[in-house]
Amino acid sequence: MPQLGVSVVEGTVVAWSLAVGDEVAADQSLCEIDTDKIVTDIPSPAAGTLTEILVPVGETVEVGTVLARIAVDASAAGQAQLRAGPESAPPTRAHAGPSAGARASSSPPARSTSVQDAAAPPALSASMPVAPGPRYSPVVQRIAAEHGVNLSLVAGTGRGGRVRKQDVLAVAAAYEPRNADRSLHTETPYRPEDEPEPAGQLSRMRRAIGAHMKRSLDTAATCTTWMEADMSRVEAARRRAKASALLGVTALPIVARCAIEALAEHPALNATLEGERYTRHDAVHLGVAVSLGEDGLIVPVIRDAQTLSVEQLGLAIRDLARRARSGGLAPDDVRGGTFTVTNPGQFGSLMATPVINQPQVAILDLEAIVKRPIVVSSDDGTDDDMIAIRPQTILGLSWDHRALDGAQAAQFLAAVRRRLEHWDVRG
Amino acid sequence: MAVMTYLEAISDALREELRADERVLVMGEDVGAFGGAFKVTDGFVEEFGEARVMDTPLAEAAIVGTAVGAAVVGMRPVCEMQFADFVACGFDQLVNVAGKTHYRFGLAVPLVVRLPSGGGFSGGPFHSQSPEAWFMHAPGIKVLAPSTPADAKGLLTAAIRDPNPVVFLEHKHLYRRINGEVPAGTYETPMTARIAREGSDLTVIAYGAMVHAALEATEPEQLDCASVEILDLRSLVPLDDAAILASVAKTSKVVIVDEANETCAPGAQVAALIADRAFEHLDGPVRRVATPDVPIPFSPPLEQAVLPSVERIREACRELLEY
Repeated sequence: MPQLGVSVVEGTVVAWSLAVGDEVAADQSLCEIDTDKIVTDIPSPAAGTLTEILVPVGETVEVGTVLARIAVDASAAGQAQLRAGPESAPPTRAHAGPSAGARASSSPPARSTSVQDAAAPPALSASMPVAPGPRYSPVVQRIAAEHGVNLSLVAGTGRGGRVRKQDVLAVAAAYEPRNADRSLHTETPYRPEDEPEPAGQLSRMRRAIGAHMKRSLDTAATCTTWMEADMSRVEAARRRAKASALLGVTALPIVARCAIEALAEHPALNATLEGERYTRHDAVHLGVAVSLGEDGLIVPVIRDAQTLSVEQLGLAIRDLARRARSGGLAPDDVRGGTFTVTNPGQFGSLMATPVINQPQVAILDLEAIVKRPIVVSSDDGTDDDMIAIRPQTILGLSWDHRALDGAQAAQFLAAVRRRLEHWDVRG
Repeated sequence: MAVMTYLEAISDALREELRADERVLVMGEDVGAFGGAFKVTDGFVEEFGEARVMDTPLAEAAIVGTAVGAAVVGMRPVCEMQFADFVACGFDQLVNVAGKTHYRFGLAVPLVVRLPSGGGFSGGPFHSQSPEAWFMHAPGIKVLAPSTPADAKGLLTAAIRDPNPVVFLEHKHLYRRINGEVPAGTYETPMTARIAREGSDLTVIAYGAMVHAALEATEPEQLDCASVEILDLRSLVPLDDAAILASVAKTSKVVIVDEANETCAPGAQVAALIADRAFEHLDGPVRRVATPDVPIPFSPPLEQAVLPSVERIREACRELLEY
């Protein structure tokens, strides 16, 4: 079955012009093939005798299926080889020898030729059969894996458009590191160490996370307060940062920075409650939730986060995320947090009810930043309200009612919002 | 340091070793009175005497066999096959006796067989062969093939001092065509590969006269400023696996050039090594440029057509660079 078009995968035999035993001349019509209601005449690739018809009228077969066999006599052998497709060509010897220069080897008379990838009628595009073999060479695959390059996005400058080593290296060099808040919740190659688990149970990590979450909900009187914040200045600062080729500062470090500053004003939220023992902390040891994809969640801690600038926070978050996913965290890295931020918003979720990270008393959730039409009042004190389109986000704060009340939670959120909405665009 | 030809460097090595070590002796057809078919040993018999610069009968089996005998009693014979092609007559003595004696009897056979090899000057089929692959395939024999005067002197010295049988391929078409700086006095060159030119886009692996062809073929301006590394093997046994693999890891593309006939030439072993141990580093097929499996023709245009030319090497590199 010849490939009668680039996207053709099969064809139906509509009619055979000859019967078994008939003599056939080269280019004489052999059969008619129907592909998507277009009927095409198939000429014979060789002169000889039709010895076998393998696909009867009405049957649909895939491209490449042998349709018929023709016994070719020796004098026509050379011509037959030239017309037939790659699969029926004999292997050629590379070095100078009697067969050099001619694809047809000296064959015994009456060789059989299959009517397979025959020369397509000139009116239709005859495309090469799909070449087998790897699309990317080993070194290209290795470099792509090392740098996290998506090979399907790399333009190839090699023969036939193949991706060469220098092509993937060029992309790897120009590849921007992913935003920290995007990278927190994407699929990762991290896999916890294998252990023999009985079928039907959750993994050890899952169970550990689940136990922690359950314990938190059982222990704390968990409430959640939400507040919407206008993120236009934050987004503008981020755009400036990108343009000046600073590290990809994302919203998360900015929100973290604002939260840390707000905690200085509202120290009740930077506290831990273990049983009866309630401790307020001067330093902010900021936990940052890192998704490990299917395998769960981990919350490494940035110690003394109050001393770090936005850029430093961004770097620290990125470093912790990377180490978390590659299994490079030490036990101390996940202990001693006083406040946690989580940022699952890259998938577009707007609000959530985060679970407090015990023994802390509060957790701040940053969800998606979405452009919305909002009402803005004019500055001159008149009632001329307007609608403006601004990037907004809904900050969520889960807090422990044993240690706090709603007013404190709302005041804290307001402090965070105020800082975000007055964020210095110059960063 | 002096500038001398490839041939003079070989003479120099022989002369220095004859002077330094009285166990060293030279034997071959016309090496004494005539000073050698190519004048490598010109003046030697006058300096060292007929006992140490021996004219032999026209009998390669006897030359090699006698050398084996001399070697096992403690001499250091350096025998010469007048043309590499003639070593076939001494094959049994070399491969079965010299190569295996250490394994069979624990006796060292510190002999050197010098083979003026290679073509390119209408020597015809009996005077142009590159038979190194025969001896790479024989266990117990080292095979060296320098491409520069400095390496020729240093490797011949190393060969003479080596306790193993060593086949030393001197490319006779390089004898007077190649000049280079050669250190004075005695020195040994290590039996490793040498980077003749550093590069990053593609590696050409060659030895002997083909190193010079490869250098010429891959001048940057000839190949759109591609940076081609040339690795001169120098030592075929022992083969410098590490250097070969390091170069392929760096460039990911390799062309191997053999003046020897393609099938089972040294380049075939190099290609197999690369496919086996550098697969993860390859960005293209391992290509070979070699003389086809024919005796080297006498006719100049035929000879030029079969020996790997600068143009063929360049074309192979160009195709692979674009792959």
